[in-house]
Amino acid sequence: MDLHILDHRLRVTSICKDGLVNFTHSLIKLMFLRNRTRCKFFSLTETPDNYTVVLDEEGFKELPSSEHLQVEGATWLPLNVVSNGNASSSSQAVGVTKIAKSVIAPLAEQHVSVFMLSTYQTDFILVREKDLPVVIHTLEEEFKIYREEEGEPIPVHSKDMQNGFHKNGKEAVKLTVHPVLSPQNQFCVMSLDPDTLPAIATTLIDVLFYSNSSVKDEAPPTQGLDCIKFFSFSLIDGYISIVMDTETQRRFPTNLLFTSSSGELWRMVRIGGQPLGFDECGIVAQISQPLAEADISAYYISTFSFDHALVPEEDIGSVIAMLQQQRLEVVS
Amino acid sequence: MSGSKPDILWSPHHVDRYVICDSELSLYRIESVGNSEAKAGALRLSEETTATLLAINSDTPYMKCVAWYPKHEPECLLAVGQANGRIVLTSLGQSHNSKCKDLMGKEFVPKHARQCNTLAWNPVDSNWLAAGLDKHRADFSVLIWDISSKFTPDASVTTDKIRLSAGDTDAGLVVTKPLYELGQNDACLSLCWLPRDQKLLLAGMHRNLAIFDLRNTSQKMFVNTKAIQGVTVDPHFHDRVASFFEGQVAIWDLRKFEKPVLTLTEQPKPLTKVAWCPTRTGLLATLTRDSNIIRLYDMQHTPTPIGDETEPTIIERNVQPCENHIASFAWHPSSQNRMVVVTPNRSMTDFTVFERISLAWSSTGSLMWACGRHLYECTEERNASSVEKDISTKMRQRAQSRYGHDTEQVWRNYLLAGGDDPQLKSLWYTLYFMKRYTEDLEQKPLVNKLPLVYSGIKNIVKSSSGTVESWCCWNGSDRQADVIRYHSDERCLALQLCGWIKRGPEIDVEPFLQSLEAEREWERAAAVALFNLDIRRSIQILNKGASAEKGDLNLNVVAMALSGYTDEKNSLWREMCSSLRLQLNNPHLCVMFAFLTSEPGSYDGVLYESSMAVRDRVAFACMFLSDSQLPRYIEKLASEMKEAGNLEGILLTGLTKDGVDLMESYVDRTGDVQTASFCMLKGSPGEVVKDSRVQCWIENYRNLLDAWRFWHKRAEFDIHRSKLDPSSKPLAQVFVSCNFCGKSISYSCSAMPHQGRGFSQYGVSGSPTKSKVTSCPGCRKPLPRCALCLMNMGTPVSSCPGAGKSDEKVDLSKDKKLAQLNNWFTWCHNCRHGGHTGHMLSWFRDHTECPVSACTCKCMQLDTTGNLVPLDTV
Repeated sequence: MDLHILDHRLRVTSICKDGLVNFTHSLIKLMFLRNRTRCKFFSLTETPDNYTVVLDEEGFKELPSSEHLQVEGATWLPLNVVSNGNASSSSQAVGVTKIAKSVIAPLAEQHVSVFMLSTYQTDFILVREKDLPVVIHTLEEEFKIYREEEGEPIPVHSKDMQNGFHKNGKEAVKLTVHPVLSPQNQFCVMSLDPDTLPAIATTLIDVLFYSNSSVKDEAPPTQGLDCIKFFSFSLIDGYISIVMDTETQRRFPTNLLFTSSSGELWRMVRIGGQPLGFDECGIVAQISQPLAEADISAYYISTFSFDHALVPEEDIGSVIAMLQQQRLEVVS
Repeated sequence: MSGSKPDILWSPHHVDRYVICDSELSLYRIESVGNSEAKAGALRLSEETTATLLAINSDTPYMKCVAWYPKHEPECLLAVGQANGRIVLTSLGQSHNSKCKDLMGKEFVPKHARQCNTLAWNPVDSNWLAAGLDKHRADFSVLIWDISSKFTPDASVTTDKIRLSAGDTDAGLVVTKPLYELGQNDACLSLCWLPRDQKLLLAGMHRNLAIFDLRNTSQKMFVNTKAIQGVTVDPHFHDRVASFFEGQVAIWDLRKFEKPVLTLTEQPKPLTKVAWCPTRTGLLATLTRDSNIIRLYDMQHTPTPIGDETEPTIIERNVQPCENHIASFAWHPSSQNRMVVVTPNRSMTDFTVFERISLAWSSTGSLMWACGRHLYECTEERNASSVEKDISTKMRQRAQSRYGHDTEQVWRNYLLAGGDDPQLKSLWYTLYFMKRYTEDLEQKPLVNKLPLVYSGIKNIVKSSSGTVESWCCWNGSDRQADVIRYHSDERCLALQLCGWIKRGPEIDVEPFLQSLEAEREWERAAAVALFNLDIRRSIQILNKGASAEKGDLNLNVVAMALSGYTDEKNSLWREMCSSLRLQLNNPHLCVMFAFLTSEPGSYDGVLYESSMAVRDRVAFACMFLSDSQLPRYIEKLASEMKEAGNLEGILLTGLTKDGVDLMESYVDRTGDVQTASFCMLKGSPGEVVKDSRVQCWIENYRNLLDAWRFWHKRAEFDIHRSKLDPSSKPLAQVFVSCNFCGKSISYSCSAMPHQGRGFSQYGVSGSPTKSKVTSCPGCRKPLPRCALCLMNMGTPVSSCPGAGKSDEKVDLSKDKKLAQLNNWFTWCHNCRHGGHTGHMLSWFRDHTECPVSACTCKCMQLDTTGNLVPLDTV
């Protein structure tokens, strides 16, 4: 297995719901006008609390500074696991589950905070740039590590990174097991030929920027709700990935969006009762490890406040039960 | 595609069909103009060809890539890869025959939808269609479909949560189960099957090139690289692959897959298509975005396999098939170097890349050139005389006639050169006279004048001293002539060099006159006689000339005129002669009257008569010019000669630095390095031969002989050269040393001849007179055996034609030789086997492999010149 450190330097930002109007111009440019911007990594996730925007430094320059914009201080680097085809694991499960044991758990042990971003195409593990020496040191036994520069993968070893290497604090952090909740709506993960993006542009704009108006008519969402407002759009290295619920999907033309031929649907597990912050470690691990043990596929999308896992709808019951069980074990 | 840029595909089997695909598929037929002159709707592609639209297929939306079925039947079956990853089989312009109908409209659907980037039919097992798809986190990106498979909803598939709508699966038209799935969690951007094996597939994946082996799908060979687009195998060299990334093309050798064997110069705009020419080896065409130029890389001269250290040479060329930007191009599958290009607005051009011309000019002057598959030989239409006249032809003939090698009768070299060049004649006579004079001196103790004679008359007259002036009388009369004659040793020497007088102290031109008469040079003889103040002899010669066979009767008239000579200043004779002489055609006759009518001491009419031989003019000057006039005249004449590169001037300059200057302008004018080499070698072995120009001529002449394969002549020349210039003698280049004691065998033989007695003990024949070195003279161990006759080396070769009687004959002259070349050691530097040279040569006349059994070394082929035969004879 290879681990690629991709050639993007990312910022994680949040736009509050009311402030979205200030960013309309730049967001539309980043989403639809690929040739007008040098941004190669862009992800926008709408949650009931805010909009999380993850983008590279070129894209970050496009965002106007505003009181409505919250920026996480660090620069994040995306990691990507490449299986090289010859690792023929018996597991049918994919996504976070596959890398739970090899990446997520070791990093959690080393107290490296990770920010996960799953797309239709792959899973990105974002780590802080300052944690990179620890990451390389931790993972180099399991992986051949390459750093992509100008598109060429260059092998890296921890001895090259020795300066600046310091182990993260070892003091025993009390493991918090966060509450989870599972909204009722079904989600689908889809992709799109970038050439046909203009064809769905108006629908996308409508969904992203005018969603609040329509929601207002309905009953305001409450905590522990039946349905959650969740929509994610990413455009990374030319690949588009969209996560939305089936309600929203109906608004798009049927023949343009790609998904699996089996038409599988996903249910969400939202992690955290209070905003999670960025410093706590092991959150992804505590979700992904049980999933890995049960061999259940999952998508995992971190946002500014909460983490979201998507699991196959037929497995949601067992997943919730498993997580509740885990919580009880820790508490007791 | 997908409505933007059209692509073009040639039919693999119908050389007149191609398909343009953009938002729809259009089938065209290409024809030559003559066949379709009147046809409506034919599009003009070039001056000779037109295209007719046969069919349009717009059944398949969102096309991303198209591949044409590689087999003859069904004829026009196309696989179309769509934006959602589905592959549809479709056809164009076909009457729906049964085989095709089954396949038409068949769809192959990947588990997770994403763009299909590339398609490739397996060229051998044509049921196999490989598709390269974009990345999906849970799916494979290379799917190999079997187009003959039917959709069977078996138990295993249903558990995979297939939720296809019922309508899709009707009539077995949708296939969801690929034959092979490769490249999990990766993207595939380009694909091609490797001709090495039908189960090898080369794929350009995200950031790496991978070779999948379908016999063992868990294994793959891969190399990390950016250049992953447009992988394509050289149809003429199956291990060579091209791929590209942005503006750069990488060429790979699959046997050495770790890195590209070369990367071509980067182009400023991103590439859109790269294709090997199917009709010519090593020609790669590349196209960049928004360009009207196709750049060709000719790897024709790349040694295959491509070397590790040597950077292969590649010739880059640009061709511009049309004015507009080119969207795509396709090589014609069989017509040489032909392609059709298509522009974004679908206008098409039929275009043939003109082949580079390579030219070869042989050392014997024949000219050939190759263009494409044609070889042209240049033959001269005009009469062959211009070739004959060419200096290279002349030099070649002269080399064959051993020109330059007559070191005794030096003047004969002029005859060997063909005997028709007055300058060469003058040159070789000059050298002959110089040599003769030197020999005279050698007999006498006067050695100190040796360099002087070779330094030319210019230097001889400079050193002139003790000149005696005398008023001369006409020969045979007491009448005092009106001329002063000058005498000195130096002038006498000069006259000898001019050939007017023989060696010896007395000045007697009679032998010279007789030799001129013998050569029927009547006018010249008459002139020389006159200049020696012998009118009577002069008249006699002219009479003789007139009465000789085919003689010119006019000579009698001249004789008559001559006989009327009077020294009276204002006579009618003088007046008429001085004006009418100019109408005489023969320069010698002309100068005779000029001499008679001139004032004493001013003989410009004679001295500057350029059509008279230089030696005669110089001899004349030596007789009649004063010490002050003579050096000036000689100096002036010498510089004229130098300017003109006239070899007659060597008489004046001698073989000095001046002479080299003169020879330089002669070589510049004629290119005759042969004469220059031979002439300068005669010079004193000190300064002249060391002159870099002289060395250059000599080396060029040697190269010329080598190029003509006149190897014996060249060796002969080297021997000749080393005799005259001992410093040029090459050092011994080959030593044979004993395997046991390491001492040189040849060295011991020549150094210790008394050991010859020892050899006979080991010799095969008992004859002690012929020394046979069958053992090392140092340690007495036997020498290796000849692989063919199995005798120890050192024995004479039995079949050697030189053996026997003739052998004994040459023994006298070549007594220093130990043995004939046929007896000499020969061995292959590669396999180390060998034997007698004669045996080896005759073996390799009929064989290519080493004579030693079980040795497969192709010894003779390793020697690039081994199979060439000399064109000259010993």
